Amino acid sequence: MAEKGKINIEHHGGVARLLEEHEKVVKDCESRIQHWMKVSGDYEALTDRLKTLPDQLSYDIMVPFGPLAFMPGRLVHTNEITVLLGDNWFAKCSTKQAQKIVDHRMKYVKCELDDLSKTMKNFEARVGFAKDLETISASKGDYVDIKEEVGNNDTAVRKGRQRIAHKPNSKPKLDAILDLKEEDEENGGEGDGGSRKGIMTEEELWARLDELEKLEELQDEQDRLSDNADMNGEDTSSSSSEEEKEGDTAPPVNGLSLKPSWTSMPHSNAPPNIDRKEEEDDEEEEGNCLPTIFFSHTVEPKKVRINTGKNTTLKFSERKEQKEHSKRKKKNGHSNGHSHHELHKITTPADIYRLFVDVKNGEPIPRKSILKSRSRENSVCSDTSESSAADFEERRMIGRSFSHDEATHSDTSDGITEEDSPTAVPLHPASRFEAFSGTVVEKDPMPSAVPHLTIVPPALPTILERKQEEVAPDIAPPQQAPKRVSKFKAARLQQK
Amino acid sequence: MADAIQKKLKAELEKYTQMQKDVSKSMSARQKLETQLTENNIVKEELDLLDSTNTVYKLIGPVLVKQDLDEAKATVAKRLEYINGEIQRYETLLKDMEKKSEQHREVLSSLQQEFQRAQGLAVGKV
Repeated sequence: MAEKGKINIEHHGGVARLLEEHEKVVKDCESRIQHWMKVSGDYEALTDRLKTLPDQLSYDIMVPFGPLAFMPGRLVHTNEITVLLGDNWFAKCSTKQAQKIVDHRMKYVKCELDDLSKTMKNFEARVGFAKDLETISASKGDYVDIKEEVGNNDTAVRKGRQRIAHKPNSKPKLDAILDLKEEDEENGGEGDGGSRKGIMTEEELWARLDELEKLEELQDEQDRLSDNADMNGEDTSSSSSEEEKEGDTAPPVNGLSLKPSWTSMPHSNAPPNIDRKEEEDDEEEEGNCLPTIFFSHTVEPKKVRINTGKNTTLKFSERKEQKEHSKRKKKNGHSNGHSHHELHKITTPADIYRLFVDVKNGEPIPRKSILKSRSRENSVCSDTSESSAADFEERRMIGRSFSHDEATHSDTSDGITEEDSPTAVPLHPASRFEAFSGTVVEKDPMPSAVPHLTIVPPALPTILERKQEEVAPDIAPPQQAPKRVSKFKAARLQQK
Repeated sequence: MADAIQKKLKAELEKYTQMQKDVSKSMSARQKLETQLTENNIVKEELDLLDSTNTVYKLIGPVLVKQDLDEAKATVAKRLEYINGEIQRYETLLKDMEKKSEQHREVLSSLQQEFQRAQGLAVGKV
């Protein structure tokens, strides 16, 4: 607690300083803007004068004589203007040409003014932000700091494609050579000692190269395996730290339990994986000896093409996270169905998943999001993203049947080529309300999952009914909603 | 022991401040060059707006000397190139100086640490 207080104070001091600097910049911008405004005013006065000057051949004027006296005089050659072009260059021109030059300069002044006002706006925004930060750090305002502890990244589950950061050692060859060269250059002056050092390091480098290559291979294997895992779980491939924290990453679809932590919840993700697999393996089986689904999550908003004939597209970036989050919570809260009184309160999307569970075969089976391959059969739109309230209704009205599958395909855009989605569609048009035909080609040692899949056929005709039922209840208190469990969860429960 | 370190520290500090001064001098020179660059750009553009009917003068000291328009254009262009070259030179110079000052900073910090340690030891002894 003391530490927190200290940090706050430091923050506060730092933020105050930041605020100061920003305000300084803003003031500076203001003064510069003033300067340029003056200049532009001068130029405008000049234009006026230039316009009226050649009206007469000569003007009678009072010529200033020193600081205190004037003399009557005449202004002649009223059309001849000597213009200072800058840098000690002059040009004699007529008033019209001078006017052109003045216009050109005004353009430049305007440019400068625009830039300055843009910078000022930027910095004003920053000032505002710094002020907010101040209130946050001082805990005066209503802001709450949302922190997420990042767990150990052993499993290296990340959103999107698994990417290897270019660590300094990941490119041993190039760097080593470069370093060697640099060393040589630096040591050139040192003579023999330097060259000897160079040779030594070269040997070391070769040894290091071998080491690193081995490491890289290991890494690649790991990545491949983790990629498999990524693909196999929509709700597990997100990089949300909570997943790692809770250790609920889904196992690979083919049951390769690569990492021990993943075997904990094997079933809940099997159904969607199997569905996807069914479609994808057809394309990818030849390529891999192990059936793998290349699926990965990104946080970026992905267009879920909900093909209901209208080709509406929706974005659901956060939904996925929430879904996963809720899935996680759902998995963890096995016994949620039993403790109803705790679940009345809906504070997070996860709660909705918890609350709206269908009863199937006498067991509470939590609903799955409609964006999961089987969700349409079992539940109506358990998608609970905040932004989806409207979309939600829209989607309900539209009879999304397989758009979900397409959605999963688009989810897996990273690894799945576009071919997959089109091929997915023809599979389904016949059985409009069946997300899948009931047969699953699964190559993992989890045969128990299969019967479950067949047990829980879509029963999609009920979706329509349910839709009407649940339009209200989804938002209404949970107790009235039927309980549903995904077939995978059911399988898992059964197994247990 | 602590005194020796202190002396070293002072010497390093002086060197570092000197470096910083040099850096700031180069910076200001570079800024001047930048303003000259923009000015010469404007002159060039305005010369393009003129035609050969107007006479161009150059102010050399207190004298306005007549110049040919084309000559003036050429001169300004050459000056522009020269200024660009100077800016490049100053940039590299600045980079070098930055690097050197970084090194100095590191040396300084390490010396400071040593000094503190030595001081701590001295206090401990006493």
